[in-house]
Amino acid sequence: MTAALAKIEIESALARRFGPAFQRREKPPVEVLPTGVSEIDLFMSGVPRGAITEIVGAVSSGRTSLLMSFLAVATGQEETCALVDCNDTFDLRSANTAQVNLDRVLWVRCNHRLERAFKATDLLLQSGGFGLVVLNLADVTAKCARRVVSSWWFRFRRALENTPTALIVITPIASVRSCARLVLAVSKETEVWREAAAFRNNAKLSHDRESAITHAKHLSLVTESTVKKQTESLLPHSRLFRGMCVRVNQERPTAWIGGPVRFSTHVYI
Amino acid sequence: MFACIYGRTFSGDREDSARQLVDLAFTFSPLVEQTSADTVVLDVAGQELLFGSLLNSGQQARSKPDADWAWNIAHEITRRSTQLGFKISVSIAASPDVAIHAARSHQRLSVITAGEELIALGELPLKLLDYSLAGIDAKKAEEIRETLELWGVRTFGEFARLPIAGITQRLGQEGAQLQKLAQGKSERHLHLFQPPIGFEQTLELEHPVAELDSLSFIFSRLLNQLCANLNSQAMATNELCLYLKLEDKTEYERAITLPVPMRNPKTFLRLLLMEVESKPPPAAIVALTIKAEPVKPRELQTGLFIPLAPEPEKLELTLARLAKLVGPGNVGSIEVLDTHRPDAFRLNKFRLSHRTGKNVGRKSRRAVETTPVPAIGFRIFRPPWRAEVKTLNERPTRINSYGTAYAIRGQVICASGPWRTSGDWWRTDVWARDEWDVAVSSSGSQESEVLCRIYRDLISEEWFVAGVYD
Repeated sequence: MTAALAKIEIESALARRFGPAFQRREKPPVEVLPTGVSEIDLFMSGVPRGAITEIVGAVSSGRTSLLMSFLAVATGQEETCALVDCNDTFDLRSANTAQVNLDRVLWVRCNHRLERAFKATDLLLQSGGFGLVVLNLADVTAKCARRVVSSWWFRFRRALENTPTALIVITPIASVRSCARLVLAVSKETEVWREAAAFRNNAKLSHDRESAITHAKHLSLVTESTVKKQTESLLPHSRLFRGMCVRVNQERPTAWIGGPVRFSTHVYI
Repeated sequence: MFACIYGRTFSGDREDSARQLVDLAFTFSPLVEQTSADTVVLDVAGQELLFGSLLNSGQQARSKPDADWAWNIAHEITRRSTQLGFKISVSIAASPDVAIHAARSHQRLSVITAGEELIALGELPLKLLDYSLAGIDAKKAEEIRETLELWGVRTFGEFARLPIAGITQRLGQEGAQLQKLAQGKSERHLHLFQPPIGFEQTLELEHPVAELDSLSFIFSRLLNQLCANLNSQAMATNELCLYLKLEDKTEYERAITLPVPMRNPKTFLRLLLMEVESKPPPAAIVALTIKAEPVKPRELQTGLFIPLAPEPEKLELTLARLAKLVGPGNVGSIEVLDTHRPDAFRLNKFRLSHRTGKNVGRKSRRAVETTPVPAIGFRIFRPPWRAEVKTLNERPTRINSYGTAYAIRGQVICASGPWRTSGDWWRTDVWARDEWDVAVSSSGSQESEVLCRIYRDLISEEWFVAGVYD
């Protein structure tokens, strides 16, 4: 208490001579890039520019769906985007379906070389001028992701400061640690199958599935009668997996528990 | 002081002789005017130190010592022209027009000091008066010439002594300008001759160069000169060609096409070095030529609301570095091919798209908010993972597949299919497959369920995992 009072006293004494030095500077509002998912944008407007955003999730958790949405919005806003694809898994048709303007995306294929991916990202960030840079490490093993030295992330964070570039890193486990300004954890809740032709292989599993489905109002049910009908008539298949429901949690900086965000498939033939 | 060189007789090709006359003038001064094919004027002011004592013991005694160096220059020009086989007249005067008229009067050598113009030119016939020097067109000049003949004016001196008021009244401003010309009082700047600038730089090396570091210095020198030439002409280039002569008598060519016109030597240097490094010449270099295709520079008007984009120069360098890092076939913009074949695409060179700025800001954000449910993402495996699939009634029940990072193996919980696709039956690489979307209770992944697309190749009768929904 005494120390605090002394501090105030000293500051007030020196304020006349060094006025601006003792004034607390307000941080400028963080510029954001909308995500295109209304449920997420309602809570946090989008991903911050000039900082690293990490999207963490397991396989089939919805990370890529989120990424497609980011790319669609960014390219729709005439931003120049770059995608560093470590494992060469970028699907063009689903990007097309998500309305990503592929002319504005620079695709860098790293052929499963993690080091190349980091070097390529560094080159892109140092070059500047990109609105969105994505480092896709979704298919990297958790072991490799843990081994990434922190200096890379610090370097990226430093390169991004005071730039309009948003860097999105997709990882299987949280790797960016303190260098990430925003961390979104993605997990799958349920998936949606077309009623007509989906079928189950195991009665017990199907029972579990149905019980899960009942909690989500928008899901189609897979019933015994459906299976029987499908078995008898052998209906033609038409991309029967319809979509899935994912949950997005903001882990950093605040623990916002997001509601489920639904992604659906589109038929493309 | 100005010197005029007048070629009295040109032998052979007239254009070639005119060019040689200009070259002769450039050996004395960089400020040269090619007045006509046989007349060249050069500025020799300030050359006293060079020619002041050369022929001081000269053949002719001069009344004014400051004219000595001028005589020395005149003699030196004559001497060099004789070596070239020209017969010329040289005249040096304070005004370029006086020097021209004196040189054309067929005196071999003459030096006219300031104030003595009328004495030197006074006896010249009026037909030698060059009307074009006063900027008078031929028709008007002919009219004035006829009028002066009617008046009985025959020489420069007679014309010069006429009253200026009467000349202006009767012949107009053109007449007054001509009179000044005859008096030797006209003043003008030289219309400097600009030698044609080549956008090609060549260098032959004394010793063969095999190292990139050494080559970078040579490139730098040539590119600096090339860019200076481009700059002087307010031009840029969008294509840079490199021709190398190698020690083994072969030639090596590389061409760099730039997305936008540039003229930055540092950018060019890096691009050239990376190009040579990526495909090095098979032998040491003995001579090199760099050629630039001149084009108009880029004109860009950016808007306040247009999002930032990478600078074209930086982007080009970044693309070259990325190509060096991951291979040239692995960087670019994607073009989806117009075919049903799965994963058919082509990578093109990435170019900055035109930006209008219409979709930026609040309006687009509102549009984003009303966007329907986003599409699900799919991650495709290249190449597809080979899989062992157990089936029951021709439906997948269990899958076992290993990838580079993880495995997909376990019981198929839910599946839909088959979706049969085929195509290109007329080609050797025909494809036909039955696709299934399956949910696998995977034991090899952290997630309890993996949603993936598998297919059975109908030609090889093998199962593959095409990718995962994510």
